Amino acid sequence: MENKHQVPVTVLTGFLGAGKTTLLNRILTEQHGQKYAVIVNEFGEQGIDNDLVVDADEEVFEMNNGCICCTVRGDLIRILSGLMKRADKLDAIIVETTGLADPAPVAQTFFVDQDVANKTKLDAIVTVADAVHLSSQIEDHHEAEEQIAFGDVILLNKIDLVKDENIDVVTKRIRKINPFAKIIKTTKCGAPLKEILNLDAFSLKRILEVEPDFLESDHDHEHDDDVTSLSFVSDKPLDMEKFQNWFGKLLQTKGQDIMRTKGILDFKGENDRYVFQGVHMLMDASPMGKWPDDKERSSRLVFIGRNLETMNLKEGFEACKSE
Amino acid sequence: MTTDLNQFPQLDKTKFEQRGIQLEIGVPVTCAVSIGNYIAAGFGDGTIRIFSSGEKHKTLKAHKGVILCMAKDGDNILTGGDDGYFLKISLNGEINEVTNFGSRWVDHVAAHNGNLVCSSGKVVYYWDKNKKEPKSLNHDSTIGGLAFDAKGRRLAVSRYGGVTVWKKDYSNKWKSTKLNWKGSHNKVSFSPDGKYLVTSMQENVLRCWRLKDKLDFAMSGYGSKVKSFAFIDDTSYLATSGAIDAICWPFDGEGPMGREPICLPYIGNKQVTFIEPFPDEKAIFAGLSDGSVFLSQIENENNTIIIRSFTGSEVSAIAMTDDKSSIFIGDMSGNTLWTSIWDQ
Repeated sequence: MENKHQVPVTVLTGFLGAGKTTLLNRILTEQHGQKYAVIVNEFGEQGIDNDLVVDADEEVFEMNNGCICCTVRGDLIRILSGLMKRADKLDAIIVETTGLADPAPVAQTFFVDQDVANKTKLDAIVTVADAVHLSSQIEDHHEAEEQIAFGDVILLNKIDLVKDENIDVVTKRIRKINPFAKIIKTTKCGAPLKEILNLDAFSLKRILEVEPDFLESDHDHEHDDDVTSLSFVSDKPLDMEKFQNWFGKLLQTKGQDIMRTKGILDFKGENDRYVFQGVHMLMDASPMGKWPDDKERSSRLVFIGRNLETMNLKEGFEACKSE
Repeated sequence: MTTDLNQFPQLDKTKFEQRGIQLEIGVPVTCAVSIGNYIAAGFGDGTIRIFSSGEKHKTLKAHKGVILCMAKDGDNILTGGDDGYFLKISLNGEINEVTNFGSRWVDHVAAHNGNLVCSSGKVVYYWDKNKKEPKSLNHDSTIGGLAFDAKGRRLAVSRYGGVTVWKKDYSNKWKSTKLNWKGSHNKVSFSPDGKYLVTSMQENVLRCWRLKDKLDFAMSGYGSKVKSFAFIDDTSYLATSGAIDAICWPFDGEGPMGREPICLPYIGNKQVTFIEPFPDEKAIFAGLSDGSVFLSQIENENNTIIIRSFTGSEVSAIAMTDDKSSIFIGDMSGNTLWTSIWDQ
């Protein structure tokens, strides 16, 4: 039968000068014996030590599927399909984005293109953040905020250059944007590679294992267009039809502002746990087996995005609870 | 308990497989073209194999990486690779470098009457047969496909947002016309009668322009991306992959608008992944995602024969020799079949 082996793809993102290339070179030198393909932007930093480096133009395409925020990286579709024709089998592919890139089109490419999805899988988005400059970058550049919002792992780098109390401030800022990313504090990107590679962060199974880490947010100094996160929990089972109607409509109308969603759902009358995750309007959802005996059944839902407070999410979610 | 594998029935080989030569190369077949009574096939490890009847096939190491594209130029083979090389290769194995773009891939190649063309990234390079240096034709986005019309006067370049059609004017200057349609356009082809231009898109749809008035329309309803299509029997039909049937749109008379396509079904409900015309007949070879290949008459769906049985790997190349005597089939796992078509 058809071989369903999928090559894992790690996306390295992060603002200019945060240390993406340092991390990339660490991966390539420490993981010897592994065959990697590295896809870099032609205007990116130089000096990557790998025999398979592919230059890419970050070409973001709109898809004609009636969904305004559905953009993909056209160059990535072309390059990944080319790489899949190689004689030597790749252990992994690493995509380094430019400092000003929005990670959404990269992630969406793996949802939208069938060939890409058949032969490769998005392993994780790894965001390298500069502990010294992140706070001001987030203020000045929405891209820096988006990179934090999309990260499955955030390497808070250059902590040796920052006072401890300032590290706490930056960590809090990251948490407010993204409660489920794993934050690793590093100097020179010195994190164990097993915490960066082969995470399978986009598999629905992994969502069951990650508990979002919410901090009490202090509401001072919040701009209207800040990226924030909101989460909801219900011990009362949800009505499947009501939930689907509400959530479908929400993504249809607000999908541009909702960057990432994850959830585990307990539907009335259903024995299975339902798990989903989404990037803007695109969703991956599936029943994931019975609820474990030692765990209370409950529904959890997390949103990351802009203007979340205008979407009446709490009311919408409450209304989905079964009678 | 042990299982005696011999107790299980062997899958029947087709008569074509029985009399042909089957190889397991283990590397994806990426492309194939016919050159007279020879077939040249390109592979994912940069090798080319040249097949002809009555001789053992010849293997050439041409590129360092994947052979991404192939075309014929008279008696020569043109190839582009992910090693950045654009090569011209003769049937007796002489390899000449046309150019080399370093780390940039050569995504598409084409030729007409000795004039060569290739694309790398957003630029098309055109070598007039009388000139040494190429002319660069620039585009705003990466090129998805290249095609000359039958007379070699127009060159269509598909890209994001539509197609640019290049033509030399009377003073030998390149002039372009744009055919716009939102979205990413991949493979492009003129109809053999020169009246239509067709592209396959990133979405599961084909776009077609009637060139006399630039009227454009979609051919849709596909379950997946249309990776392969071909005009059949001059411009009688456009046969396409992308569904579990081979979808054949009528292009005779007033064209396909308002007309239903003919859908040729195959056993097993697998996606059609490759289409190759049977020259001068209303018939096609259809390659499927499980490796099987069928020959069908478009206007008589009962007249379908199986050429190659299931291999488990998507068909990625089919080519027939110009004398219509032999056929080459290759798939993404490197299983190939080279066989005569006619019973002795």
